[in-house]
Amino acid sequence: MIASITANLPVFVVIAPLFVAFVLPTFARRMRLVEGLVIFVETLGLVGAGYLASIVLRQKGIPIIYQLGGWPAPWGIELEAGSLGVFFLLVISGVSLPVSLFAKGNLTEEVGSKERVARFYVLYLLLGGALAGMAVTNDLFNVFVLVEVATLSCCGLVSARNHPRAAEAAFTYLIMATLGSTLVLGGIGFLYMVTGHLNMGFASQELGRIWQDYPHVVWMAVSFILVGFGVKSAIFPLHVWLPDAHSTAPSPASAILSGLAVKGYLICLLKFLYSVFGPELMQKFAVHRILALVGAVAIIAGSVLALTQEELKRRLAYSTVAQVGYIILGFGLVNTKGLTGTLFYLASHAVIKSTLFLAAGAMLAATGKKNVRELAGVGRKMPITMAAFTVGSLGLIGIPLFSGFIGKWYLLLGSLEAGNILSVAVIIAGSVLCAAYLLPVIRGAYFEPGPEEDWKDPGLPQKIALILLVAAIVILGVVPGPFLELAKRAAAELLALQ
Amino acid sequence: MKVLLEKLLVNYPYVAAVILFMIGALTVLTRSNLFKKLLGINIMESAIFLMFVAGGNIRGGAAPILGEVNPKSVYINPLPSALMLTGIVVSVSVTAFALALIVRLYKSYGTTDARRISQLRDEVTER
Repeated sequence: MIASITANLPVFVVIAPLFVAFVLPTFARRMRLVEGLVIFVETLGLVGAGYLASIVLRQKGIPIIYQLGGWPAPWGIELEAGSLGVFFLLVISGVSLPVSLFAKGNLTEEVGSKERVARFYVLYLLLGGALAGMAVTNDLFNVFVLVEVATLSCCGLVSARNHPRAAEAAFTYLIMATLGSTLVLGGIGFLYMVTGHLNMGFASQELGRIWQDYPHVVWMAVSFILVGFGVKSAIFPLHVWLPDAHSTAPSPASAILSGLAVKGYLICLLKFLYSVFGPELMQKFAVHRILALVGAVAIIAGSVLALTQEELKRRLAYSTVAQVGYIILGFGLVNTKGLTGTLFYLASHAVIKSTLFLAAGAMLAATGKKNVRELAGVGRKMPITMAAFTVGSLGLIGIPLFSGFIGKWYLLLGSLEAGNILSVAVIIAGSVLCAAYLLPVIRGAYFEPGPEEDWKDPGLPQKIALILLVAAIVILGVVPGPFLELAKRAAAELLALQ
Repeated sequence: MKVLLEKLLVNYPYVAAVILFMIGALTVLTRSNLFKKLLGINIMESAIFLMFVAGGNIRGGAAPILGEVNPKSVYINPLPSALMLTGIVVSVSVTAFALALIVRLYKSYGTTDARRISQLRDEVTER
């Protein structure tokens, strides 16, 4: 029994949330049961991901390959839980468990009736399952299907609040995201036409052999996939949908959208760039330069735009645009240190941005104030929420002892190794700008007199969720140990695959 | 020039796909009517479907069903068509969801024009 479960674990981590998602609506009236089920499934996911990670760490880099239906590779569909896959699985379950804990008993205000809350959880689990699928998939067309599942559930989450602005943001998001996935599908089509394979490994081998015969087609494929995932993961000039969508969604949804959904598309892009095209081809087509430049522009532009925002949630949303810039910049440094940094930064940003959005959501729910200036004095009245916000901000800025620092450190080392002085300067300038838009919030909250009002910290599950996330930020920053090891190994594997 | 023209004529499904794709993209990006945006998305998706299916087709090839045609004929590749079946399902669900959103927007703003909606929204926030 147990042996068969562990043998099928790579597919269970994907199927379990999807299955529960479709069962949930039948219990829509029993709120406690729904919430319990969601948290149970997320805990199972965390255990599964942890177990897979321990196996992968013990096997020293041999990935767990799972053949769906028992059909071997070029014909059947493969799932591959390698270092990159289990790394991202850990990030997904590590973030979505506290977020679902935060949502417990807290959603009816933002979303509405019980049925609507149940539907929210359905979308939440669908998104979780799709992201887990992106982590382990090794098939080009599966990527498209999972991306679509994730996109539709993201749009649903954005439109969860019963407010016309939410519908408007969701519509813009839907149109932009569908444009992106159409481009991705086109890119996959070009790759399939020249290689004849949908399995990433086989497609990559074939591509390495024949790319000189079809340089234009490969160019088209690269650019379609880059722009497609660029729209979906909000790389700077293509980010226009993000601030509205992420700031109008209910707080747990904003946390999961900014923290995880964007990262799922980035992981897909990483897989396409390194596992399908391969580092050699990337350098021949100078894709790495484009990525490094686009990343640098995104960091500066996103941070400056964040500085100009008055509304706290919008400021955080623009900050996501800047932080995505760091990750893209890391994709462009084709060396182990840079990729390690980018992967670690991806994980740490997932945790930090969820913390920040949840804390901002808790403050918004308690005070009803949207703008940064109106939140003066909130620090003394909501100590735990504001402490979590402070730790998150320090982590995002990149202060040592918090997780953001290690990611930025490796990114800096990688940029130096690549001889890219511009990106060194941009990484440091980005940290300064990040301090400029986050520290005023903290200063106002702690050191400025606030109105005489009775603002309170949220309930117990919300506090536990915030404390768990803060613990993750500090643990990742002080003892990154096995996590950093996984990131390093994933980076090495991505680069070795030619 | 003549060679290029001949190539284009022979590969007419791909040319059609490119033209459809551009019409769709232009509609999505320039029209402010929400329905037209949605139509544009659908046209773009159809272009990609056409490209895939044309890529799997062989002129004069037979449907890949064993025992029904004479064994000498060439089979077409059924995989792209099967993939596009999934793609069509996805596109239908996107369309359904977008239509639902349009209905909700129309109920609250009384228009389906994106520009008008953002004007109305700004007026509401100023008040």
